[in-house]
Formats: sequence, C-alpha cells, structure tokens
Amino acid sequence: MLGKITYHKPINMVVFVNIIAYAFLIFKDKPYQWHALLMYCVVVTMICTVYCVIIKKKLGEGYLFLIVSMLLSIGIMMIYRLNPDRGYKQVVWSLIGIFVFFTSYYLYQKSNKWHKYTYFYIAISVILYLITFVFGTTINGARNWIVIGSYSFQPSELNKIIFIFFLACYFKNPDKLFIQKFHYDENVKIIVNRVLLMFVTYINIGFLVFQREWGITALFLLIYLVVLYVYGKGKYFFVINLALILPVAIIGYKFFYHIRVRVETWIDPWSDILGKGYQITQSLFAIGSGGFFGTGLGMGKPYLIPEVSTDFIFSAICEEMGILTGAAIVLLYMLLFYRGIKIVLSIRSKFERIVALGITVMIGIQTFIIIGGVIKLIPLTGITLPFVSYGGSSLVTNFITLGILQAISNCDFSSEGEFNG
Amino acid sequence: MDENKKIIRVLIIMCTMFFVIVGYLTYIQIFRSKKLMSNVYNRRNYEIEERTIRGEIFDRKGVLLAHSEKKGSLYERVYPYGALYSHVIGYNSRIYGKSLLESTYNNHLLRTDRYSQVFGMVDRWSDREKYGNSIYITLDHQLQNLGGDLLKDKKGAIVAIDPKTGEVLALVSKPDFDSNVSWLEDNWRSMIESQESPFLPRATQGLYVPGSVFKVVITAGAIENGLDEQTFEDNGIIVVDGKEIRNSGGKVYGHIDIKRALAVSSNVVYSTLGIQLGSERLKELAGRFGLGKDIPFDIPTNRSVFSYDIMDQNDMAAVAIGQGKIMVTPLQMGMIVAGIANGGNVMAPSLVKSIISPDDKNIETMKPQILYNIMEKDVAESIKDMMKEAVQNGTGRNAAIEGVSVAGKTGTAENELSVKQKNKEHAWFIGFAPVEDPKIAVAVVVEYGGFGGEIAAPIARRIMKEYLEKSKE
Repeated sequence: MLGKITYHKPINMVVFVNIIAYAFLIFKDKPYQWHALLMYCVVVTMICTVYCVIIKKKLGEGYLFLIVSMLLSIGIMMIYRLNPDRGYKQVVWSLIGIFVFFTSYYLYQKSNKWHKYTYFYIAISVILYLITFVFGTTINGARNWIVIGSYSFQPSELNKIIFIFFLACYFKNPDKLFIQKFHYDENVKIIVNRVLLMFVTYINIGFLVFQREWGITALFLLIYLVVLYVYGKGKYFFVINLALILPVAIIGYKFFYHIRVRVETWIDPWSDILGKGYQITQSLFAIGSGGFFGTGLGMGKPYLIPEVSTDFIFSAICEEMGILTGAAIVLLYMLLFYRGIKIVLSIRSKFERIVALGITVMIGIQTFIIIGGVIKLIPLTGITLPFVSYGGSSLVTNFITLGILQAISNCDFSSEGEFNG
Repeated sequence: MDENKKIIRVLIIMCTMFFVIVGYLTYIQIFRSKKLMSNVYNRRNYEIEERTIRGEIFDRKGVLLAHSEKKGSLYERVYPYGALYSHVIGYNSRIYGKSLLESTYNNHLLRTDRYSQVFGMVDRWSDREKYGNSIYITLDHQLQNLGGDLLKDKKGAIVAIDPKTGEVLALVSKPDFDSNVSWLEDNWRSMIESQESPFLPRATQGLYVPGSVFKVVITAGAIENGLDEQTFEDNGIIVVDGKEIRNSGGKVYGHIDIKRALAVSSNVVYSTLGIQLGSERLKELAGRFGLGKDIPFDIPTNRSVFSYDIMDQNDMAAVAIGQGKIMVTPLQMGMIVAGIANGGNVMAPSLVKSIISPDDKNIETMKPQILYNIMEKDVAESIKDMMKEAVQNGTGRNAAIEGVSVAGKTGTAENELSVKQKNKEHAWFIGFAPVEDPKIAVAVVVEYGGFGGEIAAPIARRIMKEYLEKSKE
C-alpha cells in the first residue's frame, strides 16, 4: 500500500504541491485558517477521483488531465489566497467543469455525426452573438457578458468551440462544403467555398471586434490561420489570408482608439504610469518583486494589481511563487500542447484531427496571448489563462474542450497500430 | 505525409513561443527587476521602507552626515548639516522621492540587495524592524564645510580630488537647499520655480565655458606636436580672419615662450597655437580629455560638450582660449587637473568609500581604478612645471602657499553677462599641490565672479592648504 505513495506517480506530485500550499496557508497566520484544510480536501479528492476514473475506466490519454489538474490546483490556491470567497466559487466551478468534462466526453463519443451540422454551427454562433448583442452587459469595456440572475457568462467562450467545429467541417473535404449540388464549374465552386469560409470567419471576427474582445479576436484569427496552413489546399489561398492580416491590423490601429491605446501602452507604459499604463506596470512590479523563488504564498502583495484573479493571475503567481514557478507553468502548457499534438498525430479520422488540432492550438495560443501580455512581451489583451484564471464560463468551456480532446484520444478514430506517417 | 510535417512545424513554432516567454521572464528577473523594485510607483517599497531603519551615511573619517529618526510612527531622514550635502547625498522624501546618493544607493541603505532579491523570502519572514547598510563616503567633512563657507552666498562649485585614487574630497555646489524633509516639503514649489536653480548640482551637472583653464589642454596638444619649441611675438592683439582677439587687459608680452605664455595666460599665443594645431587635432584633444564622454560616477553627471562639426580659423582660436562652443562641468575640469597631477592617468572619480552592514561587516570597498589616460608622463611633467610657474610668477599668484609648491591655472570665462557688464566673467581656477607629490587637486568656479586669479584662486588656496596641513598631522 505504501509503495503507491511515491513521487514516481505524477498524481502524487499534484497532491504534494497541494499539501505544501494549503499547509502554508493554514499555518501562516494565527488564528489558523482551517477553511483552507477544507479547500485542500475538496480539491485533492476531486482531482484524485477524476484521475482514478480516467485510468480505471480506460478513458484514453491519462496525461491530459494530470497536467490540467496541476494547473487547476495552482490556480485555485492562488485565487483562494487572493480572495477566499472566489476560491470557494472556483472550486464549485471546477466541480461543474468536471461534470461537463465527462458529459462532453460521453456526448462526443455517442454521436458520430458531428461533421454534419455545419449550418447548425454557423447559425448557433450567430445566434449567440446576437443574444450577446441584445441582452449583453458591458463589463470592463467589453460587451460580451450575459447576466442571468447573479450569474454571468460569456457566449464568446462557447463560440470558440463552435468555430473550431465549423473549421473541421470545412476542411474535412477542403473547399467542398458549400453549393455541391449545383452544377457550376469546379473552379468556381472552389472560389465560392473559399469566399464563404472567409466570410464566416470574418463575421466571427467582426462580432468580436464589435464586442471589443481583442484577445479573442486575435485567437480566432490565429486558429483560423493555423488550421488553414495545415489543411488548406493551394498555397496562394493561405498567403492571401496571411497577407490580409496586415491591412486589417493597420485599419484596426487607425480607426480603433482602443487598439491604439493598447499598442502605445505596450511600447511605453511608463509615461502614463498612473493612467493607461497602470495595469501593466503594476503587473511588471509584481513579477520583478518576486525573484526566482517568490515571496512565498500569502506573503507578497499581488493584490496591488487590478483584476489580479482573472487576467493577471500569472503575475500574482510569479510574485508569490517565483519566476521558476512561472516558467514551470509555461512548460506545463507546453506539455499540454505536446500531448494534444500527439493525439492529433495518432488518429486517422480527418474531422477529429482538425477538431483536436484546433482545440490544442486554441489552448496554446490563448496561453501565449495572455502570458505574453502580462509580461509586456506583446500588447496586453484581456483574455483568461486556461484552467488557472478565475471565472466560470472560461473554466467550463475549457473543460468542454478537454472532454472533447479526451474523447478523441480514446475513440475508434484512433488507429489500431502504429500510424504510418 | 505533408500534413503531419506541417503539424510538427506548428508544434515547433508554438514551443519556440513558449520558450520566448520563459526567456523574457528570465530577462526581466535578471536585468530589470532591480529597477522595477526601486521604481517610485511600486507601492511594495513603502512597506519595506517602513519596516527598515535606513542606513547611516558618514564622511571618510566617520562624521555622521545622515541618519533616520523616529518621528511619530514613521522614520524620517535627518541631515545634521542641513544644506551642506544637499548636492551630494540629496534628499529622501515620502512625497518627492529620493535623489543623488539616497537614490543610487537606495538598495544598500535599505539592504534589499542582490542576495535578498534572489532569495526573496529570506528577510520577509520576520516582522521585526530591520537595519540598512551604512555608507562611508570619500568626502572630508572639514574640507566640505570650509568649501561651503568660502563660497557662502556666491554661486559656483568646488571640486577637490585625490589625484592618485580619484576619491572626491570635497564637492560643493552653491546655491543649495536644506535637504531635511520638513523644510524641503514646505519649500518645494518656490525652489522649483526659483531662478537661481538651487536644485542644480552645479559641481556635477553645471555646464560652464572653461575660459583660460582650457589652455592646459591646448598646451598638452602643443607639446605632443612639438609646437612648444618655438617662441612667439605677442603684440597684445591678433587678427584672425578679420576678427580681433586681445589679451586680457590689453597687455603686451613681447617675445615669449609657451611656458611664459601659459603663466601670463596670453590669448594671442594660444590663439596662434589653436590655429597651428588645426581642427582635427583640437577635436581629438577634446575627446581625449573627456569632453563629450559620460563620467561614471555615483551620482548623475552631465557630459561636457564640444559641439563643433566644421571649425573655421576663428573657432580654432576661440577653442584654444577656452571660449566658443565648449562647456565643461567643474567635475570634468577637476578630473583633468587631477589627471595632469597623476602623470596623465585620470582615476575614476569615486564618492563612496565603503559599505558596512549593520553587524559591522565590510560589504564593499571601492578600489581605485584608472579611467583613461590623457597624456604621456613626460608631457604631464612639462605641464606641471608650467603650471607651477603660473602660480609663482603668473596669474595664479593668489593660490601660492608658503612652503608648498603649488601648480595652477586661472580662467576668466566670458559669458552672456560679461559682454555687457564688467566683472561678470566666470572665475575659474584649477590646480594641485604639492607639485612633486600631488595630494590634492582642485577645480573652483565662481559664476559671474570676475577674475579667476582674484576670486577663484584664493578659494582653491584655502582648500589645498587646509587639506595639506591636516594630512601632515
């Protein structure tokens, strides 16, 4: 029995990290914070149970959830440290997320007609955008929240998945999705298809720009380009799309004050340190103050950063747990990305390949956009750090994508033997 | 398969992007974190400071120049000598931030240096008050005090340097201000708006036309190029390109050599030398002597300027007598004269001698370093000899000290006011003593003071005398 509790098993490392963190949080101040013990129990039980289910029931790839559970643990402990109430909520959202994870896993496996709902995907995403447009509430300058009672959620999060499914439908048989019944020339059909593809993509982007969701806009654009690069037929079409980014960026820069401000504060946040540059400079102060090993959980001052538990959680982690933990988190995402790509390469069905690639790339790019933003490597755009940031809709969406990826890794789509590439 | 290759490429690009993030994080930590930590807007500092008793600052002999005292629940910086060190140590205010040494050595004074930054946790464990490091500076309080008294209400600067080590012995700038917080915070506005610019540390950042003290630089150029062998015919006036240049006071010196010309500060001879040297050599000389170069120092300095691209004959003549578009800081002139005294090697100027931890451990001791060489040893010897003559039998007589051989050069620099009014020139004196074994080099400038020999030389004399007498004891 004892032999099982060793560091050899990665799950024990996740548990170990949680033990250290919560022990620290409990005994840091008198009176001791016994709430943290409860948090610890719930988090560890949740993670271990899910991991056991995945392994025992042979639900495919085991490492995906391991990596995610480490990220989730770090996120929850940091959010709990910043604001215990939010910490509890995040745990509740994680439980919901786990439920959604299994649900989406089974739903995805149940049906094999996912590639047939093209028009449904287009319609539902437009409807979601319109709902946001009509009923949306503006939070932090972005009109992308639907508030129902005391809960709020972001439809654009869901649209990411729908968009990936749409791309998978299109590229399953590239340029042969629309108007196949009509008797036009093949070349005309291809052109019409490509134009429609770009149209749908830019409709998405247009809605997002309208909502002032710059981070997600960039995310959509990059997912589109990557999928187009890998699966698109004809080099010129990809080059044209790539080249189109430049005028779009220039127009955006010229006509949208918000984009200009972001670029300017990225280049020089110091000149308006108390105004527009406040967020990013506070974030840099936090990172700079942490050192390689951090101040220790609960001993720094990450609460000086605005929006610290959502967009800037990475800076808070760097301050209290050090740059080394920051680097470790980046490497965890890299591992996750690598496992995702491995799944992509191991399956045959084209539709699933594209979905898996889209999801993997989405997680990777989203991570790069937000971490790069808070450390001032690229202009800052508000977007959540997958599985770490506080927030229900992003956590639930991420668990949906994880469920789908898990399902794909364990399907009939996977090849029986070695894949001959 | 093409598709898999492309997927692998995507993987590689994405991994590279992740590595860029890790690299950039490391870069921030190693190269930027010190600046980020000490940024005035980083509110983390206030709390560190409130728990730290800022280190004390002493002069080279242990006279206390700055310490922290508890006023209410907070510590406040106290400067026992009020304004005397305002342009060296600076101030430390909760509202207006920190300046000069208080700013440069902030991390040491708060003891948040490398060690505690890398292992951030170590000293944040306890809530006890912690002590900062103490700093011993190179200034000699008695000398600094004398300098302050000598300039008193005049505007100007005094720089005294140990030529062999580069240690700055006195660094006086006037006007100054009381750097104690209570006074500073009450008078900030009027100080900022004052026409006297009391916030300008003149010794290190004031830019002045050098006038005749620049002739020592030209002399070095003349000796190096063999122009010192000739004799000159000084008629009291020389016409360069239709423009007249006269000797000070319209004096005529007749048949003289370069040694005598430096001693009497003949503008006619030096204008001729300037033209003989030509623009390329003048530019090279200026650069070699540090004009246009940054001075690495413990507090911010200004660069001395030599702003010529193309020089006509008039410019060459003007530069040779220290007029025209050249500006120097008193510190720069002090370094030049210290360099001559030290046989051509200019030592890097230093203001901090050592840093001592609260438990009396020596953390850092500054060691003398050669900054650059401005001339060969034999050239320096000749110039020393000429400068000695200038004090014995020339314009610098007022700097002479009984029983000590003094070398020096006066300067009376024309400026925008002196054109209209008499006795409004900047009065300069540079010099060192004793000539055979230089222990102190000085540069003195008195703004709009008048003749260098009358105004600046006596001040330099008192400073040198005081220092030499004390070092004999």
